[in-house]
Amino acid sequence: MDVIEHPPIFHLPGIPDHVTYTWIAMALLSVLAFVASRNVQLVPRGMQNFFEVVLEQFQQMIDDVIGPEGRPYLPLIATLGLFILVTNLMSLVPGANGPTTSLNTTAACALVVFFAYHWIGVRKQGALTYLAHFTGPVPLALKPLMFVIEVISHLARPLSLTLRLFGNMFGGHVLIAIIFFLMGFNGLLGWALSGSAIGAVGGGLGTAVMVAFTVGFLYPLKILVSFLQAFIFVMLTMLYISGAIEEAEHGEHHGGEHQPAHH
Amino acid sequence: MRALILAATAVLAVPGLALAADPAPVGAVNMIGPYSVLVAGFAMAFAAGLCALGQGRAVASAVDAMARQPGAAARIQTAMIIGLALIESLAIYVLVVAMILLFVQPIK
Repeated sequence: MDVIEHPPIFHLPGIPDHVTYTWIAMALLSVLAFVASRNVQLVPRGMQNFFEVVLEQFQQMIDDVIGPEGRPYLPLIATLGLFILVTNLMSLVPGANGPTTSLNTTAACALVVFFAYHWIGVRKQGALTYLAHFTGPVPLALKPLMFVIEVISHLARPLSLTLRLFGNMFGGHVLIAIIFFLMGFNGLLGWALSGSAIGAVGGGLGTAVMVAFTVGFLYPLKILVSFLQAFIFVMLTMLYISGAIEEAEHGEHHGGEHQPAHH
Repeated sequence: MRALILAATAVLAVPGLALAADPAPVGAVNMIGPYSVLVAGFAMAFAAGLCALGQGRAVASAVDAMARQPGAAARIQTAMIIGLALIESLAIYVLVVAMILLFVQPIK
């Protein structure tokens, strides 16, 4: 792996790369948030306007998936979404080892989501009711089996969140690293500059094709995958939170049907 | 069909021939190293093919539904994107295992 890795742009001695770039992402987001919220006005302009649009999109997604009672969880969801988006886009730059290309960051985000949605469910319904709703509407004899199956499926959720985000980002990272290795002075470019006629033609053509392919196809694909993976992470978080909260609504639906509809 | 069987045997024999070239210590466990590279390649190919089939079905159903009810197109598209990403994550798990076999090389 070391032979195809790119030396990082910015390296602090003694601190792992993904921590350094996490700090850079944190600094970037903090500066943007400070600029946006410094002079809050009724009619937003500039950075405040941009962030209001972004947060309104998050708000709309929460309303669609969880419903109005999901609004208190907007800070958690928007922070996760913006952090993962910024760190995904950071891994596009060739020298920057984005944090999400390392298993540590993605596992941290997934564990935060795991503990968050269980904590939200327990706080909303109480521990015993929440655990009792794990099993679902099955007869009493099958409840222990369903409980075990549900526990396994709940344990698989942070694992899948981690591996999905890590695999997508790390796969793209390795792909770009291999292409740079193929194009470098050991590869096509070296062949083009080596002085032989076949080398000039073949190496030049190969380099041109590779550059066009990378800039024209791979980078747009990687940008799409960055946005998509951040969106999927946030969407799954919202689905898990809605699954943890919704058990409390069995009683409310029964109560709501008896009231006449008036606005 | 016979050509396919011959080709498959040839491909599977290459790691064995590679081992015969250098005098390795006797032990059945040494055969696993080169074969793990082969397995990683095949596993990734299978996963990519099956993932493509699944995603093709998902997109086909989504496009049919959008053609039937253009008004619901936005919600169908959202559900389609989520479904595609979840199907793709199964192929990503195989990619992670393949990368472990290739780069971490737990069994030499």
